[in-house]
Amino acid sequence: MSAIIENVDKIFNVSLIYATFRSATPIIFAALCAALTQQANILNIGTEGIMLVGSFTAVGVSYLTGNWVIGVLAAMISGAFIASIMAVGHIKYNAEICAIGMGINMLALAVTKLLLNVIFKTNGTFSDPKIVPIPKVHFAFMDDIPVLNQLLNNWSITEWLAIVLILVLQFLFYKTVWGLRLRAVGQFAMAAQTAGIKVTQIKYQAMIASGLMGGLAGAHLSLGYSTQFVENMTNNRGFMGVAAMYFGGANPILTALGCLLFGFADSVGARLQAYGIPSQFVLMMPYIVTIVILAISMYVKYRNNKRKESSLLAPKAQLKTQG
Amino acid sequence: MNIKASGLKRILFTVVIALVIGAVLILMIGENPIEAYQALFKGAFKGKFGFGNTVATFTPLLLTSIAFAVAAQAGAFNVGVEGEVFLGGIAAAYIGVNFTFLPKPILLITCFLGAMVVAGAWATIPAVLKAYYGVSEVCTTILMNTVAVYITSYLVSGPMSAGTANAQSHSVAVNLPQFMKPSSANVGVFIAIVIVVLVAIMLYKTKFGYKIRVVGTNPAFADCIGINSKKVFINSMILSGAIGGIAGCIEVLGVHGYFLNNFAVGLGSNGMLAALIARSNVVLTPFLAFFLSILKAGAMGMQQSTGVPKALVDTIIAIFIIVATMETLFEFKKKIKRKVKKEKGEAKA
Amino acid sequence: MSEYVVEMKDIQKSFGSVKAVKNGFFTAKKGEIHSLIGENGAGKSTMMKLLFGMYPIDEGEILINGNNTDKLTPKIAIDHGIGMVHQEFMLVGELTVLENIILGFEPQKGLKIDFDAAKKEVKKYIEQYHMDIQLEKKVNQISVGEAQRVEIIKTLMRGAEIIILDEPTAVLTPQEAQHLFKILMNLKKDHKTIVFISHKLNEVMNISDRISVMRQGQYIDTVEKGNTSPLELTKLMIGREVFLNIDKTYSKAGKTVLEVEDVWIPSQKETSKIRGMSFHVNEGEIVGVAGIDGNGQSELVEAIIGLREVEKGSIKLSGKNIANKKTRAIRKSGLSVIPEDRNTQGLNREMSIADNLAAVEMDRVPYSKGFMIRQEAIVQNAKEKVEAFDIRPDDYNLPTSSLSGGNAQKVVVAREVSMDNKLLIAAQPTRGVDIGAIESIRNSLEKAKKEGTAVLLVSAELEEIISLSDRIIVIHEGKITGEMPADEANENNLGLLMMGGTHE
Repeated sequence: MSAIIENVDKIFNVSLIYATFRSATPIIFAALCAALTQQANILNIGTEGIMLVGSFTAVGVSYLTGNWVIGVLAAMISGAFIASIMAVGHIKYNAEICAIGMGINMLALAVTKLLLNVIFKTNGTFSDPKIVPIPKVHFAFMDDIPVLNQLLNNWSITEWLAIVLILVLQFLFYKTVWGLRLRAVGQFAMAAQTAGIKVTQIKYQAMIASGLMGGLAGAHLSLGYSTQFVENMTNNRGFMGVAAMYFGGANPILTALGCLLFGFADSVGARLQAYGIPSQFVLMMPYIVTIVILAISMYVKYRNNKRKESSLLAPKAQLKTQG
Repeated sequence: MNIKASGLKRILFTVVIALVIGAVLILMIGENPIEAYQALFKGAFKGKFGFGNTVATFTPLLLTSIAFAVAAQAGAFNVGVEGEVFLGGIAAAYIGVNFTFLPKPILLITCFLGAMVVAGAWATIPAVLKAYYGVSEVCTTILMNTVAVYITSYLVSGPMSAGTANAQSHSVAVNLPQFMKPSSANVGVFIAIVIVVLVAIMLYKTKFGYKIRVVGTNPAFADCIGINSKKVFINSMILSGAIGGIAGCIEVLGVHGYFLNNFAVGLGSNGMLAALIARSNVVLTPFLAFFLSILKAGAMGMQQSTGVPKALVDTIIAIFIIVATMETLFEFKKKIKRKVKKEKGEAKA
Repeated sequence: MSEYVVEMKDIQKSFGSVKAVKNGFFTAKKGEIHSLIGENGAGKSTMMKLLFGMYPIDEGEILINGNNTDKLTPKIAIDHGIGMVHQEFMLVGELTVLENIILGFEPQKGLKIDFDAAKKEVKKYIEQYHMDIQLEKKVNQISVGEAQRVEIIKTLMRGAEIIILDEPTAVLTPQEAQHLFKILMNLKKDHKTIVFISHKLNEVMNISDRISVMRQGQYIDTVEKGNTSPLELTKLMIGREVFLNIDKTYSKAGKTVLEVEDVWIPSQKETSKIRGMSFHVNEGEIVGVAGIDGNGQSELVEAIIGLREVEKGSIKLSGKNIANKKTRAIRKSGLSVIPEDRNTQGLNREMSIADNLAAVEMDRVPYSKGFMIRQEAIVQNAKEKVEAFDIRPDDYNLPTSSLSGGNAQKVVVAREVSMDNKLLIAAQPTRGVDIGAIESIRNSLEKAKKEGTAVLLVSAELEEIISLSDRIIVIHEGKITGEMPADEANENNLGLLMMGGTHE
């Protein structure tokens, strides 16, 4: 314990900021994937599986073609494919979303394992120098400015992309026609339908967009965050993304803030390990933080609602009832 | 009765579809599907070892599937059964190792009770969060599974470690006898069957079961007639957790004799699959659990005698469940019937 | 071109095994106000939802402006100039009024929605028809009357020439209804065609040019207003002469059973919060609660039965305070409830008629003993009740989801009335049920009263309130605005109080 206190400056320093962001990005992508469908009132429990398939496809295609761009695109397409299975099951055949989502997760786990066996003749982990990772963005001028260098230099392209996508989705949801329709479908599908909106079409679009995003999440994990594929490498990041999405109420910016909290717990934990904290505690940190934050945010929401609903508050300016 | 019959038919359809898709996959790998399936069933049934393995696989699966189904009957989606198996297992191991002052039969019962209490308490957390604050139990239980694995892993590599190379606890002082050696089938399977029968009776013949079913189908109605839907929801989650704990206890006392790190990975989720396919019907679920046990236990045999990897079986099971969740997939028959009727009606007119 | 802008011929439509429309027929001329009338469940809403493309028709044809329309959807219907104001508003509560109005055909500037252009366009209509709407507010913060005007603007913005209004006055006070009629008359002046669905004859006689009548899914007749009378319309609607006047007995008020004292009850909606309400109900009397939907009636009922918190004040049942007690305990101390929402609160639609009939007393003898449930007792009870309350079909093993609205409600009434409790709360007991069931349900309430039960009747139907109650209290925005004996009440004085006016 004393070792931690003595070294507190080594644990909490400038590099922690990037470390936090770095471990948050895979979850940010996953959370955006979940937010896209959540706006249409579909809980995307299959995020985990979509992401895992994306990871595998990205590594496989990057290895076979030697081109990371093709790898990332292939991952997105595979993500969309998996999501569309879920979409057809849920929207057309009325499958309960949690049930089919868990089915998709199982399928992703099994299929990636199977293909690892069949195509790459290996078990557990696949790494190879021929896998081309997503390049990092290097700003030469930052090399001499230590703070900037630590903060912003050598980010992988997809890390920058994550920030862009948060803003793009924010714009998409709240400023565009598609976003307005999507929210209308999610909040009151019948009203959207009578306004002439094709509800199922919007739902399909949201699911496929979510699949593209989930595939990208996976590609970032296996080609940006690391350069390999490991069985079950998503390791519940998809579910953490779903939790963050709940935390942020499917609003991209708030959701991303939630993800940063998990990233923070993760990277602080990793540093603590050096000072004698058992590894298991470090590893379970982000999960516990996720649960606690989720619980607190829902509790706060509950309290606020209750306060708003109270009859003891003075009534606001009386509503007009006479026209 | 009618509903059950159609449920059974639907499941049989799904089995066929999953096996056919599996066969196509096997063909794509370049193997012979018939040989592969033969090897699979041989592996699952041949000899004491083969069938014993199936029974040994079946035991925890039966319990975890019923655990999931009980929670589902009250409207909960308890993905946390897996974590509850781990915690039940560690509780049983702790009691089995340390409470040796108790006479054996009492020690055995204490192990079971301890496992149920710890696992039930664990399940209370997501249940309360969901019932009172609307926190998605799917999310919390999944995340808590990982936490449970790390907690037990810490315990058996630290405070409870036997000091061996593998992370595991000391041996427990009481065991469930095995039969059909060299497989690890043990009398736990009978305990599991008795529990399932009790659960089915509870659900359909008792007041508590009635409450669970009312809350699962319509919580607003439950509240209105004076059944506290939140309380029933929480209780059913606790019951679900306790059954998961029993599964963990049986694995520790009957299969390993100690708590082995990571011993229960997949037990909970496989049980959930069986229950999902049967739509959490407690009568059908055990049969699905048995069928999945055959696939799981036979997979090893198939991998050894043909070139088809084990992971293929998991793929088939996953497809199986995806198809099974699609409620209206098999309604095409009804539609055709309706159409025929209509045409007849027109002919008359 | 034919003289009709809309023609619907030989329409058939079934939902599952229920035939909602058997031989539907309807025509509308340009610039007329055409009322479609019939009892609850006569198929009038369904007919118009078919015209708006919300469901596909099974048989028949629909012509709009002379064009045969195959496979209507709301989008196609809108393109043909049809607009519909639904009974339940099709507005997204979390979006603003403006967002709701432009939903589905949003003006764009670049990638963005052009809210300025939209606002300009909407303002034109607001001024033309004197509509009084606040565009920036979220829909869940505006009043019902305003929401209805938003719906009308929505249809106009979409270029509607034919506007269908489904029971538009059900949620309005008589005075607000007058305001609506003015708007409708203005629309008519602009040669818009109005289809007005209603079952209130005085309104229909007031504003229509022509009137079509439906009964039990069938088209009955179309008449010119000038050639008909309310009496004739009643006959057409019901098929026989029915008078729902129950022989009201005025019993002497007995002891006080329910006493509500200065209660404060929370609600999601500002206008539904109960702020300091007091009243009482005595043995052997029916007290009617009149008010427009959403003025705190549901909250009051939920609080009495223990489903909603009481923040201040007391609710006494036979002298015992039951505020904030558990529903189970309150029911045990002598409460029966016919809840407002039959399908979610009143029944478990997936369980059998027999299970539903025994549901409240399932944990008592004879339905259970110890831990176990006694199936024979449940079946015995079901046999008796199905017979006594004429529930059809009489197969008590069927799930209640297979029953018609009226029979489903009879299951609820049978269960709640036969417990012989001291207090019966009946919330909207006849909403959405057919005429036969209405009679039987009202008689059950009257019978309970005669046997000494204290009855609290909450209903949006003024006619029901006036004809059944001994005493009437009127509530508006969570407060009591007036109380009077039933024989002094009429639609005018109640309507005024429902709008928040004061008595006298």
